[in-house]
Amino acid sequence: MKILVIEDEQSLRENITNYLNVDGNICESCSALNSALQKLSDYDYDCVLLDIGLPDGEGFDVLAYLRTNQKNEGVLIISARNSLEDKLKGLDVGADDYLTKPFHLAELKARLMAVYRRKTLNTNNKLIFNEITIDVQGRTVEVNETAIILTRKEYDMLLYFIANKGKVISKNAIAEHLWGDEMDMHDNFDFIYTHIKNLRRKLLDAGGKDYLTSIYGLGYKFIG
Amino acid sequence: MKLSAHYTRTSIYITLTVLLAGAVIYYFAINYIAQQQLDQGLQQQLSEAEEYVRSSNHDPQQYDLDKDHAVFIRTNEQELQKRFFDTTYFNPKEQRKEAGRAVEDLVKLKDANYKVVITISRAGQKYLIEVITIITLALLTGLLLVLFITNKYMLNGLWKPFQLTLKEIKQFNIADVDQFKGKPSKVEEFAELNEAIREMSLRVTHDYLNLKQFTENASHEMMTPLAVVTTKLDTLIQDETLNAEQLAQITDIYSSINKSSRLNQSLLLLAKLENKLITDEVPINLEVVLSEKMLQFQELMQTKDLSFKPNLQPKQVLASKYLIDILLNNLFSNAIRHNNPGGVIIIELNREQLSIKNTGANHSLNEQLIFERFQKGKESQGTGLGLTLVKNICQHYGYTIHYNYESGWHTFMLIF
Repeated sequence: MKILVIEDEQSLRENITNYLNVDGNICESCSALNSALQKLSDYDYDCVLLDIGLPDGEGFDVLAYLRTNQKNEGVLIISARNSLEDKLKGLDVGADDYLTKPFHLAELKARLMAVYRRKTLNTNNKLIFNEITIDVQGRTVEVNETAIILTRKEYDMLLYFIANKGKVISKNAIAEHLWGDEMDMHDNFDFIYTHIKNLRRKLLDAGGKDYLTSIYGLGYKFIG
Repeated sequence: MKLSAHYTRTSIYITLTVLLAGAVIYYFAINYIAQQQLDQGLQQQLSEAEEYVRSSNHDPQQYDLDKDHAVFIRTNEQELQKRFFDTTYFNPKEQRKEAGRAVEDLVKLKDANYKVVITISRAGQKYLIEVITIITLALLTGLLLVLFITNKYMLNGLWKPFQLTLKEIKQFNIADVDQFKGKPSKVEEFAELNEAIREMSLRVTHDYLNLKQFTENASHEMMTPLAVVTTKLDTLIQDETLNAEQLAQITDIYSSINKSSRLNQSLLLLAKLENKLITDEVPINLEVVLSEKMLQFQELMQTKDLSFKPNLQPKQVLASKYLIDILLNNLFSNAIRHNNPGGVIIIELNREQLSIKNTGANHSLNEQLIFERFQKGKESQGTGLGLTLVKNICQHYGYTIHYNYESGWHTFMLIF
């Protein structure tokens, strides 16, 4: 997957690029509107990560450019503005998703993968990871060609882990992904454990490998 | 009382006073002039009488001249001051007494002194005054009537531009793109008023946009560093050499960042609420939203072994989905957070009110304090803004929120 990160905050840009630059992904970055438009006219990307507040203009201009030039990059907006108007405006002018700062890198990656999957749905609606096959359209999961029944939360969690395979994910990030950041979970993450335990048991029962490891009290890792 | 009514009342009072005072002065003046004229007439008749007495050379006789009575009385007095006085006059034709005016003087005739008294009727003068009084009264009534009608209809017409301006001000909404226009008026005052309001509305709209900009910028400035810290930590935890203690520290940092971003968002939302920046109202079926919320909080409930007891009747409100979500999240969150293990949450919704009732600590909370900013229990992990947000959202939509404690039950009651 080829990704362009448009973000003016340098350390944020570097962290994002480093996190995404795995599994054969090619991740490029730029910090301003002009250079972004230049890169977009020179190359094709699968996905664009777009910060709305740029030093030399509004990120919305990138969306306008993509639309007028009939380019079909998937766009994920990352914005500090948590205003509904901006969210709706962004989605209206062609963005595929909207993520509010601060966010977890795991969340960013999962959203980006979802955007990419939606873009390539016609050619590729099966997500295959070793013995696990996920039909993202029908929301069904097979392990070794045997269907397993997952709850909605377990299914979301599995997709989330596969998108971030090989990475340690904090419980905070998992909780935010599953319950949204509007909900205050009171720093009580016991219920994550229940979901993880169930998911792991279902995968193991169907003959899958044990991919999930707990990282002390901090979080989990899906070994890829 | 309306300004026109004030004006009418005052002008009628003043007109009445002036006219009444005028009438009194008028009355006395006319009376005086009429009397002067009568006295002149009497003086003339007196002179005629003296002339007559002197020329006739015999004892003066009683005579009636033009119905005027002249009486001659012989007297021994040598000196008599000529005087005019009011008296009664006997009208021989009509055979009745009338008000009269008389003059008396001394007439000398061959060493004999006569007192002469001439009396004339004052009926004519009285009649004149009566006519003048009636005309004056009629004029007064007419004037008052005209004044009243003029004030009532003409002033209302004059104030019409003002009323139009007022209507436009009432409809003015700072969030609207439409600006204050004001009907052009030929009246200088109203034109000036419109101009002043137009300038003010422009200034206010400008300030409002500035504030909105500031709110967004503040959010941006604070959220970006928080995003940097979060992503740095996300990168840091990939390091496999970290030990358990270091990871525990990182978990705490995650919690703190989560809390500060939550706090920041709450503060910005409060600012938006106070400046009435949230206007995306849609019809919301509360019973549906409440059912969804119960599902959403199910897991959190299970960890404390809590149970919901809902009794929901259909109720639709016109509000922002986002705000209702935050309102309910905070109320649910509190009811769970401050509940006893194995406790119950009773949710009742009907057309008038929504009440969320939970078991909890065996003492009442201070209703005055709990809705204030940063007032929270010592053991509470919240931001201290939750109930403030609840209260402000209620205020925003004109609901009232009450807290009540009764034998182990804490109730938050929202009245629509």
